[in-house]
Formats: sequence, C-alpha cells, structure tokens
Amino acid sequence: MNSLANPTAQAVDNVLIYIFGVSLLLLLGITVATIYLVVKYRRSKYPEPTSDCHGNMWLEAIWTILPTLIVLTMFWYGWTNYTGLREVPDDALEITATARMWSWQFEYPDGRRANKLYVPVNKPIKVHLKSTDVLHSFFAPAFRVKRDAVPGIDTYVWFEATQPGSYDIFCAEYCGVGHADMTTSIEALAEAEYATWSQPQQPSTEPRGLTVLNELGCTGCHSLDGSEGIAPSLFELSGQQRKISVDGKLSEVTIDVEYLRRAIREPNAELVEGYDPMMPSYDDATLSDEDLQAVIDYLLGKVAEAESVQINANELLENNGCIGCHSTDGSESIAPTFKGIAEREVTIIRDGQEMTLKVDVDYLRRALLKPNEELVKGFPGIMPAADYLSDDEIEAIIQHLLKQ
Amino acid sequence: MNETTTYTGFWQESPRPGILGWLLTTDHKRIGIMYLGCIISMFIIGAVLGLALRLELIAPGPTIMGPQTYNATFTVHGIIMIFMFLIPSIPAAFGNLLLPLHIGARDVSFPKLNLLSWYCYMAGLVLVIFAMFGGGGVPDTGWTFYVPFSTQTTTNVNLAAFAAFMLGFSSILTGINFVTTVHRLRCEGMKWGRLPLFVWTLYATAWIQVLATPMIGITLVLVILERTFGAGLFDAARGGDPILFQHLFWIYSHPAVYIMILPGMGVVSEMIPTFARKPLFGYWAMALSSLAIAFAGSLVWAHHMYASGMSDLAVLVFSFLTFIVAIPSAIKVFNWISTLHKGSIELAPPMLFALAFIFNFAIGGLGGLALGAAASDIHLHDTTFVVGHFHYVMFGGGGFALFGAMHYWLPKFTGRMYNHKVAAIGWALLFVGFNITYMAMQAVGIMGMPRRYYDYLPEFHTLNLVATIGSWMLAAGLIVMFVNLWQGLRKGAPIGKNPWGGATLEWAIPSPPPLDNFGPEDPVVTKGPYEFKGVVADEY
Repeated sequence: MNSLANPTAQAVDNVLIYIFGVSLLLLLGITVATIYLVVKYRRSKYPEPTSDCHGNMWLEAIWTILPTLIVLTMFWYGWTNYTGLREVPDDALEITATARMWSWQFEYPDGRRANKLYVPVNKPIKVHLKSTDVLHSFFAPAFRVKRDAVPGIDTYVWFEATQPGSYDIFCAEYCGVGHADMTTSIEALAEAEYATWSQPQQPSTEPRGLTVLNELGCTGCHSLDGSEGIAPSLFELSGQQRKISVDGKLSEVTIDVEYLRRAIREPNAELVEGYDPMMPSYDDATLSDEDLQAVIDYLLGKVAEAESVQINANELLENNGCIGCHSTDGSESIAPTFKGIAEREVTIIRDGQEMTLKVDVDYLRRALLKPNEELVKGFPGIMPAADYLSDDEIEAIIQHLLKQ
Repeated sequence: MNETTTYTGFWQESPRPGILGWLLTTDHKRIGIMYLGCIISMFIIGAVLGLALRLELIAPGPTIMGPQTYNATFTVHGIIMIFMFLIPSIPAAFGNLLLPLHIGARDVSFPKLNLLSWYCYMAGLVLVIFAMFGGGGVPDTGWTFYVPFSTQTTTNVNLAAFAAFMLGFSSILTGINFVTTVHRLRCEGMKWGRLPLFVWTLYATAWIQVLATPMIGITLVLVILERTFGAGLFDAARGGDPILFQHLFWIYSHPAVYIMILPGMGVVSEMIPTFARKPLFGYWAMALSSLAIAFAGSLVWAHHMYASGMSDLAVLVFSFLTFIVAIPSAIKVFNWISTLHKGSIELAPPMLFALAFIFNFAIGGLGGLALGAAASDIHLHDTTFVVGHFHYVMFGGGGFALFGAMHYWLPKFTGRMYNHKVAAIGWALLFVGFNITYMAMQAVGIMGMPRRYYDYLPEFHTLNLVATIGSWMLAAGLIVMFVNLWQGLRKGAPIGKNPWGGATLEWAIPSPPPLDNFGPEDPVVTKGPYEFKGVVADEY
C-alpha cells in the first residue's frame, strides 16, 4: 500500500494505520499470552490445576470498558475522516461517469466524452456516477475512493490528483461476465497538458486511420514500426502472408482488405499463430464502417486524403461502450463480434421463434434500437438500446458496420 | 476383543431396522449424524470448488476456466458453503447430537419437526443440484443475489433462490426446536447457571434462526417475483429501489454470520475448560455475551453497504452499532485466555483446534474493525481483503470449531478413537495453509484488488500465487484430517465413557450413547458444567 499524498488517500490511510496498528498490538498480546500460558501450565508440569478460579468481576469490568473505549475512538476517527470523503471542495470540476456492462464513459461539462478519466492535477474532481443497467462500483485504489453506481440513483465520489500519472479504476461491484475487465484509468495530466487535451479538436491532418488506431488503443499492443509485442505489428501489412488458426486449424492467409476487416471485427476467430485471443472485437458500434475503412486503407498504405470528418462511427462505438462487449476481432464471449458482421447470416430468436437472416441495414438498425427483440441465438438479452443516438449517428454506425 | 458383542448404542437400537431406521428416525443423535454426513459432503464439494477458484487465480489471465465458469463457480461455492455447510454445520449436526445430552433430556421438544427440518435441508440440496445442472445455466449472481443483476441474468437464479428458501425453513424449524428444548426439557438440577456454554450459544443462535431467517425467505421470494412477473420492487425505473434489496438481504445475512460463529464459540468454550481442567473463567460474562452478540449482531446489517449509495447518516449509525458488537467478542477472547491461567493444559487434538480458533478468530475480528470504520471500509469494501476477512471468521473460526468438535465429540458417538499424532499433523497443515492463503488474500485486497475478479493486473500476481500455494497446503491438511477421522472412528481403539475428562453430562454415559441417552433413571445435576474435581479421564 503506497501512501499517496492526495487528500482522500491520506484521510483513509490515517484510519487504516491507526486501526491496523492497534489491532496488531492486540493480536500480539493475545498470541503471546496464549502461548505463554499453554507452555507454562502444560499438563506434564502441572498434572492438576493450581487454581479453581471461576472469574473476577474487576477483570471483566476492565476488559469490557477498555475495548469499548478503544473501539469508540476507532469509530469516531473513521467517521470524521469519512466525512472528508463526502464533502467536495467548492471548486471541483464535475464529470459524469456512466457505467454499463462492461465499460466506463466519462462526460465532461462541454459534452466531450472519453473512455478514460482525463483530469488536471491539483484540481478537485467530482465524479457523478450513473449506471444504465446493473450495479457497478467506481473504485480508484490510489485515491482510496469507492462508490456504487446504482441505476436510478445519483451517487458521487471526489478526489484530487496531486501528481501526474495513470491510476487504475476498477469496477468493484460484481456485474457479470465482464466484471474483471471493467477497468480503465484516471489519467492525471499537468495543467498545460490538460488544457491541450481539453481544447476543441482541431481538424486533423494526420490520416484518419492513424487517428482511429491511436484512439481505440490499438497501438497499445500493435506496434506501427515492425517491433513485435503481445500482438502482431501493423508495419507494412499489404500482401504479407500470415499463419492463422481457425478453431485450432492452421492455415495461411494473404493480408488484404477482407482479412483485415475480419481481423478487426472478429479478431479471435482467426488467430495469428503464436498470439493469445485477447484482442477485443470492434463492432460497428465502436468502429464505424467509415473508420474501419480508413484504418484498413491506412494499414494497406492506401491513405486517402483527410476527409472532412463528419461523424466518426469508430468513436461512437468506443465511447458508447459497444466494444466493451462486441469485439471487432472476432472473439465472442458476451456478445456477437462486429468482425465480419456485414457478411454474416445470424440465427435470431424473435417472439420465441428461431429464424436465420442475412445482416443488412434494416437488421442492424433494429438491433441497435431494439436490441432485445431479436436476440442472436446463444447470447443474453442485456444490450441497452442505442436510442439515445441521433439518426445520423445510427446511420453512420450501420454504414461503418457494413464495411466490416 | 470380540467385535460381535461390542456395544454399539444408538447405532443398533432402533424401532425400525436398516435404512428406514435412519430415514424415519426421530432420534436426535441419528438426525445429527445424518446432518453431519450431508454437511461434510457439502463441505468437500465446496472446498473443491474453492480450490478451483484459487487455481484459476494462480496467474493473471485465463488459466483453467473462463469468466462465466469462474462466476458460476464462486456463486455455487458461496451458496454451498453458506447455506448448506456453515449455517447448519454446528447447530444442526452437533447441536442435535449434544443439546439433549447437555441438558439431561432424552430428545428435543419436537422430534418429528426435527426430522422434517432434515427433509427441508435435503429438499434445498436437491434444488441446488437442479439449479446447477438444469437448463438455463449455473447461477452466476454470487451468493448475495444482488439486484438488478440477479433479476436480469438468464441463469437458474429462481431455483437457487428457492433452494435457499427451503434451507431457511430447515434452519427455522431447528431454531424453534432448540429454543423450546432449552426452556422445557432441562433435567432436574439443570439451572440456567449450570448450562454448558455450548447450550447458551445454541440458544442464542436459535433465536436468530427463528427471528431473522424469515427475512431471507421473503427477500428471495421477492427476487423470484421480480424475475417471473416483473414486480418492479427493486427496479428504479418503476419506482423501486435496488438498495432496498441490500437492506432486506443483510437484515438476515449479517445475523447469519453469528449463526455460523456463535456455536463455534460454544464449542471452544467446552474444550478449553476440559483441556485446562479448570472452570471456564467468567461463566456469566460468557453466557450473556453470547446473547449480546445475537442481539447487537441483528442491528448492524448495513455495515455491508457504506459504499452502496445509502445516506451518510445511515453510515454513521451503522458504523457505531458495528463497533458495539465487537465488545462481547473481545470479552470472550479474554475469558478463554484467562481460563488457561493456572490450569493443567493438555494439547490434545481438540485443544489444538480450539487454540487455532482463538488466533484465527482474533485476526478475523480485528480485521473487522477496519471494515467497521467508515473511512477505511471505503477502501477495503469489495476487495479480496473482505474475502480474506470473512474466511478468517467463517473458516478459521466456524470451520476450525467444527473440526475441533469432530475431534472432541465424534469418539463419543462412535466409541472409537482416531490417531492423535496424525490428527496433530493434519491440524498443523490446516493451520499454516489456512493462514498463508487468507493472509495473502487480505494483503492483496489492501493493495486494491477487487473481489470476484477472475483476471487481475500483474502487480497482484505474487500474493495471488502465494494464496494459491497456501490453498494446496490447506487441502493436504483436510485430506489428512478426514482420512484419519474416518479410519479412527471406524476401526480405532475402543474408548470408555470419558476419554478427555469432561464434566458435562455426555461424558457420564456410555460411548456410543444408548438410544434413550440416560438409561432408566433421569439424570440429576448437582454442580456446574466445569467442575472437574473427581472427574477422571479414561485410559484408552
């Protein structure tokens, strides 16, 4: 437990140190006394007891009153420092965190959304917690703060980062199969950096595909310079041969548009040999068809002119948490993958009837707006409807998905 | 020695022969043995699941199972260990075996109700098996069934909830029986001040069972209604409240913690005087603190909910009440230790378990202080520290007390003794393995690892690895202990009436006890339960 010099962590750590310290002394006393008595009064030395004492009122009174006083100090210290976790400084920056199975989304006062919590240092941050489905809990161990996100109830935490850095955020309230993956981070930035980050975005001159790769975090695993890490590099992919395994069978593919589309939408369906199936799949809700095409064009070296970006379907899919469940790499655990969705025939259950249909614009629109009316067989009906998105955004996502 | 003429007590005397003599029995000893068989079987299944969970956590990433299997495994591990092992363990098994013997009665007040409660337990057991293997999938809610997740998941939650409902009935019936028995069936001379402490703790426990268990029954029925008919009670979108469920759930499930630990305290309070050959220090403090724990323990439920979104005023009140319940527990520990002073202490196997209980329970109880204080709980809540903490209390306390009770009393009921050296080896493996496993879990929780995580960040690896290795030692200890007990209790050396030199009534009758417990004459009690003058242990 590294004691961090931030206000909430200090409030909690002081209590922890006090209680654990007193507890350790008591445990030591209990253990030493027990061992001493057991050894001293062993039967081989004392075949019969040397006392017939039934008790002692004074002793009982002492060890009733003393522990009472000790625990009351713990109670009071714990309570007063808890109030410090609840009283938010007036000048706090207010950010809304929306938790859903199994991702976090942070919304800033100017409407900007992100899937990491970017904050300036030395500024109190009040995070309003909302949940769209089940209980979740915002837990940032470095700041010792935790609060459940409860559907229908507004809760909050506050903290203040005093040093720039990246700090873990965990979901601490069990929320189903993706619970352990519902992690993100607080990115505490120096004031100047934060100012830059919070600027309205300039029209980008870098290729759209590269922007998307960075935004989606692809470059965290896939290098762009040919170095191999936990995932294959994306350096000069065009025309390369790759050994892949499909359901355990090895085969070889030539990297082309179709392969890359599958590798992003359903990454774990065709695994490059020697790598683990850990890439999330990017469905059209997280990576729009336009953006997917931009990524593929960029990867294959066909960088188009930076278009005037209208709606970035990629960002929509990411920031709305779609890729938390729908992989873009072909892996399927919780929800169908986006990879290859355009060419797919799906078996769905509608009104208890099973039917198979081809994925098309209408199907995708229904699946986005009323996701649980036609459930893909084998998946639970847990997707929230995307009806809060604008029509244009829905269309952008659909077009994006159809290019997968 | 001629085996065929060996005296076998209630094992052979029965109004009905064969298997029906067991399935239709109303004898408290036979019902106790049937409970014990089921409970130990459930414990072994639960322990195997627990070992599988630890094995999955040996390294980051998936190792032996995927996330859905992991979630189902910890759910079933919890349901089995809480509802089918810990809650019935000491009260239903050893309470049935010993309560009538301890107070000089020939059976409990309502012997047929007693059998019915065993059948409720069996019905719950069958329902859990259906929930595990029926269509829909193994429940994945955790044993806490928190809404809204439990009302949305498609797994067999209804069946599992109904199973817990049935098991609750078993617990209520046992509680009613024990309260009545203690009030009505004490033999001549068995004043309240002469009750063995085990009876006091069973009595306090029985009140919790009667008063608190209906809460869980109602709450789980509400979950079923919510799932089946969309009742909306816990649905914020329709005016319901998800936090209401947590209150209802913990109003039972926190007192249930005391159902699990109080009888264990009673067991330890029997063994320490016997193996120190000295009266229990502070008899009335021990008896009344049992009742105080049962009472105060019913008022602290919302300390599970500091981070849930409930009001800060509620945090203040429940934090205060939580610290109050720490006091009677502390009184017990001090009195146990004082009993050792100027005694004549023999480290027989049951005594080893009693001493381990004090150590483990002290760690569990002191860890509870950090969880009871509002500020520190905010950090520790829902981390593996909590998992380590309640295993210290439930397993290190309740579990070790049960193992101690098995070593202390089962020779009485089979008439045979196990090997003491092997028992000590099993105990040592258990004690060390247990502490490695759960201390590492507590430590990684303080670092910030949330509970119910099937995957974790690399910085949590070392301690998880340590905990997993500790769990293997724990498993080895369990195997040594169970094999030794099984062999000893079937084929070990025959014992007389009183192998340990105990002063309570069960040690004055033959081993195993006869069907009617005390022969033709009702016992008459003239002294307290811990007056060892003139009591001599048999050689065996």
